[in-house]
Amino acid sequence: MKTNFLGLPLKSPVIVAAGPWSRDGESIRRSLAAGVGAVITETIVSEPIIDVKPRIAFDGLGAQNIRLFSDVQIEGWEREMEIAKSNGGIVIANVSAHTPSELAYLAVKMEKYGADGIELGLSTPMGVDLEVVASDPEEVYEMTRYVVENVKIPVMVKLSQNVTNLSRVAKEVQRAGGAAVSAINAIRCVLGVDIDNMKPLLPTYGGYSGKPIKPLGLASVASIAQTVDIPICGIGGIDSYENALEYIMLGASAVQVGTALMLKGRDYVRRIVEELDRWGEENRVDDTKEICGKALEKLKSFEEIKIEPLISHADNSIACSADCNMCINACMYGSLSRTEDGGIKTNSQCCTGCGLCTFVCEANKMRLDWL
Amino acid sequence: MNIKEIARQAGVSVATVSRVLNHPGTVAPKTRERILALMTEMNYKPNWFARSLNFNRTDTLALLIPSIMNPAYVEIAEGVESVANQKGYTVLLCITEGEVEKERRYIQTLIDRRVDGVILVSSLLNNDDLNRLKQQGVAVVLVGENNGNSPEPMVRIDCCSASYQAVCHLLNCGHRDIALVYGRTPVMENKNKIEGYIKALREAGIPVRENFLIEEENTIEGGYVATRKLLGLKKRPRAIFATSDLLAFGVIDALRDEELHIPEEVAVMGFDNIRISNLMVPKLSTVAKPLHKMGLSGARLLLDVIESGEDGDLIVKEIILQSKLKIRKSCGHKERIKEIF
Repeated sequence: MKTNFLGLPLKSPVIVAAGPWSRDGESIRRSLAAGVGAVITETIVSEPIIDVKPRIAFDGLGAQNIRLFSDVQIEGWEREMEIAKSNGGIVIANVSAHTPSELAYLAVKMEKYGADGIELGLSTPMGVDLEVVASDPEEVYEMTRYVVENVKIPVMVKLSQNVTNLSRVAKEVQRAGGAAVSAINAIRCVLGVDIDNMKPLLPTYGGYSGKPIKPLGLASVASIAQTVDIPICGIGGIDSYENALEYIMLGASAVQVGTALMLKGRDYVRRIVEELDRWGEENRVDDTKEICGKALEKLKSFEEIKIEPLISHADNSIACSADCNMCINACMYGSLSRTEDGGIKTNSQCCTGCGLCTFVCEANKMRLDWL
Repeated sequence: MNIKEIARQAGVSVATVSRVLNHPGTVAPKTRERILALMTEMNYKPNWFARSLNFNRTDTLALLIPSIMNPAYVEIAEGVESVANQKGYTVLLCITEGEVEKERRYIQTLIDRRVDGVILVSSLLNNDDLNRLKQQGVAVVLVGENNGNSPEPMVRIDCCSASYQAVCHLLNCGHRDIALVYGRTPVMENKNKIEGYIKALREAGIPVRENFLIEEENTIEGGYVATRKLLGLKKRPRAIFATSDLLAFGVIDALRDEELHIPEEVAVMGFDNIRISNLMVPKLSTVAKPLHKMGLSGARLLLDVIESGEDGDLIVKEIILQSKLKIRKSCGHKERIKEIF
């Protein structure tokens, strides 16, 4: 499935996100070889800092990362970009800085070194002052405008969900001439506490990423899509081709994969790309624009939702485990119980049609229907 | 082993080998890699002396700093050296002592020695001096505000707003009687810092007291002397803002001699955030100046000028970097919000 993003024709809407897996030319080249549409470099800054150890933690659901930026100096990226692009492919440079001129300098350099586009990292969950920039629409405007004025390649701005009003920030990116927005960046977190030693798992706040942040990413992309006209790159917890489609159907033209690559490797990303292509062939979708925002049309405001007389029904022809009472336990209204032959029955007087049982039932036995 | 032999073995022309050395971007990557590998294998080293005659280039830069006793300048130098070294340049270090005549003499020597470019830190030179350098084909980049309004590429922070923020922070901590101890050098930067100090006090409706502004040498001793003067006043300040960490160290030293508690009796705030400011007791609150990054950026701009020739495609000519408050213990704040982030 192809897409046109940032004015670049991408053979797949799946892009490898900025992160330590894109730390140099060789790692970018390898990601490109997995068939993705483009690869974004790790965040490049004017003054690389030494890595702390350890810096990545994982709890089985999501990951906390406290690695900040690329440890390759901007001079070194001239060579890295050459290696990255030695077999062709589209490379977008992610750059970050605290002031417009500092940011523009890095962008201009990366353009010179062959970057096809720029992604501005104006936020970081780790607390290096960029939090302020990310949540201040005016600063985002100034930074974006300055870069846009100084480079010829398209500029996308990566937004953080850690702000009061993401749509306002996205609007400023559009006003400043940004070619696209990408959302969301990792979310500020403390992954957990080691209770035996009474200390946090990692010694500072970090960026939370992976599957658990997908709903937050989806909501952000949807609300940005409802606000601005420029293309959106969806990021956050994409772990399958279905997840990519979810983002696209809520208004993204492309998506980024990061944590899935970090945890499962490049072959896993290749699989997402291939499965997305297959889905496209089966459903005769050749370009993301054919499905972009299709689900957004059905995302309503609360007032618009029609109230129908629905209650839960169990399809007792579907067998379920006798000791699983998930639906019964989850029914706050006390309307579900077991029948003598092990089925589930609904007390229509008590059921209020909340729908939770349809989601908790692993056997897919429950559905909502007219009274 | 010479360039002709390399060309013969690689099966390319001498011109191609020469381009690999001087304009690597113009040679196909595969050919270039092959020639570079061959050079390593054959232990070929270009004749740099002949090269400088040919190209009028010496691959030498000069860095002029006011002092080497102030670690702030050493951090800048470290940044400059790291970029220069990566690009194959050697850096000459010149200490101007904040004297314009010494700076001028150095400039002449550097022109005579055919350096490719100079980085002037807190320079006192005027536009005529700078033009003289440029006419001799020497690239110039300024780090920190300089004396004139020259159009040279520059890396700086906004000293006025940085100082304004520092004084506002002291005001927020509840201090009203805030003195300013400023260095005789660097002249322009300190002028801007004074401006920020006055602006913050005016906005808070506090009259600026002439005898609360003390100028001294920009050294630990200068800070010591200035503080003795302040402590001799009938009305003593309750907070002292110093325009450099070195001065602040002297301030702390003098306050300790008087057995005054910091920050309970007198709060102290510095400027620069040199590494050892974190080791003072109490830890010094200061304005973090991105010194190392200023060095990196200055060297980058200079190499851009040298490599593009006569400001060629230099798009970003001025880089303004961000300074930030580094709130530790010496300023007497009670909330930890800013200390963490």
